[in-house]
Amino acid sequence: MKKQGIAFYLNGIAFVLGIAGLILTVYSSKVSSDNALQNLPMLIAGGVVALVLVLVGMIMPNKMGNHDPISAVAVLAAIALYSYVFGQCILQRVMLIAGLFSFNSGNTAGWQVFYITIGAVACLFVGAIFLVIGSFCKSVKTVEA
Amino acid sequence: MKKAAMKKALWRGLSSAMCLTLSFSIILGIVLEANAAAIDTYLGTTSQLLSSENNEENPLYDKFTPPAELLNEDGTGNSTALIQAAIDLGRREAAEGAVLLKNENNTLPLASGSNVTLLGIRSHVPLIGSSFGVKAQGPFINLEQALSQNKTDFANTITTTVNTNATSREVATEVSKTMSSWTGEEFDFEGAGFNVNPTMVEIYDKLNETYKHANNENPEEVYNANEPSIADIEGVNAGYKDSFVQYGDAAIVVVGRPSAESKDFLPGGVGEGSEGATEPLQLTTNEMDAINLAKEVSDKVIVLVNSATAVEIGDLKNDPDVDAILWIGFPGNYGMLGIADILCGRVSPSGGLFDIFPTYNMSAPAMQNMGKMYYTNTDELITRSGGVLGFTPGSYVIEAEGIYVGYRYYETRYYDAVAGNGNATSPVGAYASTEEWNYANEVAYGFGFGLSYTTFAFEMQGEPIFDITVDEETGAPNAYATFNVKVTNTGSVAGKTPVQIYGQAPYIAGGVEKSAIQLLNFEKSNVLQPGESEVVSVKVDLQYIASYDENYDNGDGTTGTYIMDPGMYYFAVGNGAHDALNNIMVAQGMDQTKMVGTGNAAAVYSKEINEDFIAKTLFSVSKTGYEISNQLPYSDWNYYQPGEVTYLTRTDWAGTFPKTYDNMTLTNQELIDNLNGKTYTLQTTDDTSEVLWGQDNGIQFYEMYGVSYDDPKWQQLLDQLTLEEAMYIFSFGGPSIPGAESIGTVETYMTENAGNGVAVALNASKDPNAPWAIPTSDVNGNWHPQVFGNAPLAASSFYPELMNELGQFTGIESLFTGINILWGPGLNTHRHAYNGRNGEYYSEDPVLSGVAAMEFAIGALDYGLVAAPKHFAFNDQESERGGVSPYMTEQRAREVELRAYQIAFEATKYDTEDFNAGMRGLMTSFSKIGSIECTTSYGLMTEILVNEWGFIGYAVTDIYDDTDLWNAVLNAGTTCFDTRGQSGFYTSTTLAGCSLFQKQVDGSKLSTDLLQGDLNLQLKLKEAVHKNIYAWSVSHLMNRYNATTHVENPITWWRAAYYGLTGVSAVVMLLSAGMYVMACTKKKEEM
Repeated sequence: MKKQGIAFYLNGIAFVLGIAGLILTVYSSKVSSDNALQNLPMLIAGGVVALVLVLVGMIMPNKMGNHDPISAVAVLAAIALYSYVFGQCILQRVMLIAGLFSFNSGNTAGWQVFYITIGAVACLFVGAIFLVIGSFCKSVKTVEA
Repeated sequence: MKKAAMKKALWRGLSSAMCLTLSFSIILGIVLEANAAAIDTYLGTTSQLLSSENNEENPLYDKFTPPAELLNEDGTGNSTALIQAAIDLGRREAAEGAVLLKNENNTLPLASGSNVTLLGIRSHVPLIGSSFGVKAQGPFINLEQALSQNKTDFANTITTTVNTNATSREVATEVSKTMSSWTGEEFDFEGAGFNVNPTMVEIYDKLNETYKHANNENPEEVYNANEPSIADIEGVNAGYKDSFVQYGDAAIVVVGRPSAESKDFLPGGVGEGSEGATEPLQLTTNEMDAINLAKEVSDKVIVLVNSATAVEIGDLKNDPDVDAILWIGFPGNYGMLGIADILCGRVSPSGGLFDIFPTYNMSAPAMQNMGKMYYTNTDELITRSGGVLGFTPGSYVIEAEGIYVGYRYYETRYYDAVAGNGNATSPVGAYASTEEWNYANEVAYGFGFGLSYTTFAFEMQGEPIFDITVDEETGAPNAYATFNVKVTNTGSVAGKTPVQIYGQAPYIAGGVEKSAIQLLNFEKSNVLQPGESEVVSVKVDLQYIASYDENYDNGDGTTGTYIMDPGMYYFAVGNGAHDALNNIMVAQGMDQTKMVGTGNAAAVYSKEINEDFIAKTLFSVSKTGYEISNQLPYSDWNYYQPGEVTYLTRTDWAGTFPKTYDNMTLTNQELIDNLNGKTYTLQTTDDTSEVLWGQDNGIQFYEMYGVSYDDPKWQQLLDQLTLEEAMYIFSFGGPSIPGAESIGTVETYMTENAGNGVAVALNASKDPNAPWAIPTSDVNGNWHPQVFGNAPLAASSFYPELMNELGQFTGIESLFTGINILWGPGLNTHRHAYNGRNGEYYSEDPVLSGVAAMEFAIGALDYGLVAAPKHFAFNDQESERGGVSPYMTEQRAREVELRAYQIAFEATKYDTEDFNAGMRGLMTSFSKIGSIECTTSYGLMTEILVNEWGFIGYAVTDIYDDTDLWNAVLNAGTTCFDTRGQSGFYTSTTLAGCSLFQKQVDGSKLSTDLLQGDLNLQLKLKEAVHKNIYAWSVSHLMNRYNATTHVENPITWWRAAYYGLTGVSAVVMLLSAGMYVMACTKKKEEM
């Protein structure tokens, strides 16, 4: 194992945030069956693949050096998948949120879903940001031969 | 090497960053497109534009036009004239609707030039609208200005609203303006000519920095009136009393209570800001202190009651130092001018109370059962969820008061108390005494009551003219009595007055329940000079004195219908229900020493009605010729679980006064199944080949203007629709409504709220091509048309012409804003004073409510606006409004709540031999009727609404309501769903892709294939779509359509922004990725 660079740690944080975001996404879908996410299995699958890709992005530079193509593609895909998951969370809750801030402010279950959704989106979005920042940085400190 | 690595890092990082922005822009784009209609409304952009050639062969905008006086010479809109007309109408609405309740020693009117002091924080921050629903929007004229100034200061008086705290959801804390600024014109007006004490104005202005009252507020379950204390006033200016010397001609105190949708007041619900009150509608210590302070200011103390509901003012009535009380409702943006007109005597008040004002609202039998009640075994038995709006399953309310709602209770019990019947004087149900029930103690001001600056005498002129016939073919009755009432101004100033005709049907102990008095119809006199008389004709539909006997055996296997028990019927004119009843009681020779008030037999007409005159079952057939029988058996709890509820009866007031049914347990399986939404079974194997879809008959929508509903041409048009198009039209009923290529319609934003004006700003018209559309560059472009007073104020005018005019003006507003269907006005009857939404509904009386709504809707239709009254039906409380089950007798349902709708929908006043007038829209209720959702009640939506009343038109659900019962909603006769927020149909919003409809209670999901095997639902779908499109065809939507109509999609700035972001992100990402690959390749080569 080579000495890890900053990208490794950023990707690591993104991985943790991704797990948290995915758990919150699933949780937000289970709180109220009326606000369940329509395509939850797809979202879970997308999220899990994204997490695997982040791991790939963390591990591959140890074998192939900094900024290797495989980890680059993996991170790119992970960003897209993180975005897909939080995008769906937002998209499917737009009407709920609009209602909460107007005629339906008494919807306690809806507020719960809203807050969890905010958490999920925040985790995944910040995770994606970390992945972007990590893309500019080195994953390993040793210079490849 | 290092440089190359840095390049790689740069390109890789940039690719990732652009990947994120690309993903983000795609998400943004999808969100924006799916909600494009709503976004356009809020941003004032236009995503879709109907485009048509306008020439002699294909004319446009020739069917409905605003009045010439609101247009410039070139036909463009004149915003100045429009706003001036709104100011004038709003002023008249308040002047006609405000109700003078007390005026000792002719305290009012005040002389011009009077120096007056305004007290109470509501004098500075009056309630003029609701925080949600019928909000008063934009610049307004304050009370201080109306009393003392002559020009608007719109730039500095913009209405404010209270916003609910987004985190706590309980306490309203934030106040904001309803529009950011007004840079349009200012308008001259004639004020009252008073001088207003500036010291108190400044003090209240300062105090409101901390009290944060607003012009649009909402009730709270724990309500805080938050009137500043005397100490607070002293804290701002200790020497404030010094100003009283100069401004002591009169003291005007304003007290108020808010109204808005979504929340009720609740019994005992008072917080720290309501110290001294035990109920939310009682006056608090600080409010009483303000009134007592007024007594220090002047010997003329005037109280203005600024409410939409009955505030408990019995103490003020009996206080000799309170000289005058004027109820002013929520007068809207310009109504303070009308109030000023009354205070200065320019206009003599002529309103009558919309509801009875008891001394204690809790004394109403309805108050025994309201608020939040839940079945004890909800968790075990109710499987249906609360829907996407998160409503709480398992809530109910038992309306054990039966027909005795509002004045019907107090006046009927009063009658029986005087007559010595039914234990009426028992203390059971009394709140003012532990000894006995006494009308004088229990009631402050009666329904329909109102004073004037003059006095009037009423006298029946001869026999009424009866017009009673029966259609030989259908048996449909036509039974009217026209009463000619001589009204004489017996006072010393000019004035006008409502002419209210009431009736009493003979009550037989143990028989069908009957109110001792009920309003039958009303008109209003002209302004009469002192000594002048006028004969006012009031035409009464005798159906409304018939009673619904739900146990009547119709002899055909059905039970329940309207009956006219033989006996003596009394008709009386009076200043309100109590006065009319007193007149009848005198005519009946009852003991006047026991009466509260006096009566006049000359104001009464009595008639023995028997089979020879009116058959007992004359009204068992509706005006459409449909035989009437019970349609809502499931409305009654006892239908399922007999004997568990006792309804109030005149036979024994004490023994049947409602108890609180707050612990009901579900045991009946049918009841449980109904509550779980199991009311329709989707068929999958029917032969549906007889239902034609996708035919090519060559007819386009624009050709349907003026085509009657039953014309065969409609069937041809409907057959052109594909099944999928019809399903879209049924599923998405507004505000954006999908187009249908087969008949030449395009997606259009058609509908909006509310009842006090159209909720779209003038410069955000949905019909920007209209010649009169106000451009964004217009100086008054951001004027918002929601400016009129609340519904009770309009009702209290007792003035059908004004009600019609309000509808007409709203129709004109709709032409300027391009909205052709209005979700309003509110038409539920007031069950009790604690309903938070009373301000949106007219009255506790169905005739007053029904006439007001009918006039409004007929007036609106003159300008091509389909008014869709809401909420059909039984929105009796806001607490758990989503799906609450109100249980009641069918008699109660029909004689109170439904009668209001019946009057409006039948609109017989406007029928002619050639034209069957009627309203063309409604919105259903969130509430159930008994155990069944109103939206899925076939009895309500088809048997009563369509078959009995002949309703033809757009019947939309409330927002997202019952989307899990798509099949049952269609089966019942509801014609579409309110799916606010959805747009982009067939693309981003599809039947199968719309999450609203993907969780049906029967396990199915909406898709284009859903109805393939259900013949009944395909037929119902065609009927529903027919009604929707017919409603469009009678609206000013037809202004925009001709043979050349097509849709254009302008690029809005927000669309351009996300397109740009997407494009730039994609390009940069690809370039970066390419550069990264090249950097990798170069490195390899170097190696």
